[in-house]
Amino acid sequence: MKCLETEALISYAYHLIDEPAAAQVRAHLGECPRCREIVEQHGRLGALLDEWKAAEPTPGFDARVRQAVEAQQARRKAWGFWGWDWARGLALASLGVLLVAGAVWFTRNHRSASNSSGGRSVSYLSGVAMQRPQQASSPQAPAQAGVKTAQGMPELKSAGVSFNEDKDTQALEDYDLAANFDLLSELPKGEPRVAN
Amino acid sequence: MAIETDLELMLRVRDGDSASFEILLRRYRLPMVSYFRRMVRDPGLAEDLAQEVFLRVYKSRERYQPEARFTTWLYRIATNLALNAIRDRKDEVSDAASDNAEGGPIVERFVDPRPTVEQRLMQGDRKRLIRQAVEALPENQRAAVILHKYQEVDYRQIAGILSVSESAVKSLLFRAYETLRVRLEPLLREGQL
Repeated sequence: MKCLETEALISYAYHLIDEPAAAQVRAHLGECPRCREIVEQHGRLGALLDEWKAAEPTPGFDARVRQAVEAQQARRKAWGFWGWDWARGLALASLGVLLVAGAVWFTRNHRSASNSSGGRSVSYLSGVAMQRPQQASSPQAPAQAGVKTAQGMPELKSAGVSFNEDKDTQALEDYDLAANFDLLSELPKGEPRVAN
Repeated sequence: MAIETDLELMLRVRDGDSASFEILLRRYRLPMVSYFRRMVRDPGLAEDLAQEVFLRVYKSRERYQPEARFTTWLYRIATNLALNAIRDRKDEVSDAASDNAEGGPIVERFVDPRPTVEQRLMQGDRKRLIRQAVEALPENQRAAVILHKYQEVDYRQIAGILSVSESAVKSLLFRAYETLRVRLEPLLREGQL
């Protein structure tokens, strides 16, 4: 006869399994002395563990608990009378300072962002517009992005690609503006980009 | 007069009824103290921790939500306190055990328990042997066994207290009881004679 798993026997001994499973173990124990011995050992272990009795609380225990609770109540009352009002005032004042600081920060950043982004788009577009005549007069400036764009146009035209200069240049400019927005933002502020 | 349930009492405590807190204190003072007396070695510390449990119950009364059984909540507070205290005092307890004139650290004494146990039997110190065997269990096993065996808490509730699955609790209990059976075998044989 095959013995049951130790876990099943311990579960049975300590009532950790439901009744149908317990009934199966019981049936097995009737026929298996080895498993029965393990269960009986755990039964004796349970009785042995019962010998370790815990002591009663000491006589002053309840009084100490009451005292601790009363002390806590007193602290809370004191905190409510002085500390809580003070803390609430401090919290409100802090909140007010934070709100004012946040508003100032937001206003400054928003203003500078709108100024710089508006200025840059104008300066960039104007820069491109300004570069075209320059490219014609000074072809030795190949490093400039506008030159590449201007140089690409005849190639496209010669390849048979229809090219609407006004519309497509605007699209390329918009694309470059979006792609290089971060780079543009790194340009030094305050320098006039538009040559008047 | 109908016996008020823990839940009813705690809801009244939440509403500021200190008489209900008194009832809960009387109802659970012995279970709490006995739980800590078995979980931590120092009787003074055990009472301090039991007192702390009631204080925490009182402090958090306004936030109490009857989602689980009151005893699950109570024992969860108690178990967290006990395990923290055990961890805090681990070195101290270990030192105290090694300084004990009766032998080395508890764990070492159970490496080969028989001669030591038989020696103890001669001294008739069964209770101390049982305590040491339980104390030598890993923390979670110890908590599970004490809750299950001594506090008579159902294993499903122990799962809630220890924040583990029911199968994990069963596993803790299997290992703990089997370890205890092996460690206390000489006492079990003695009981048969």
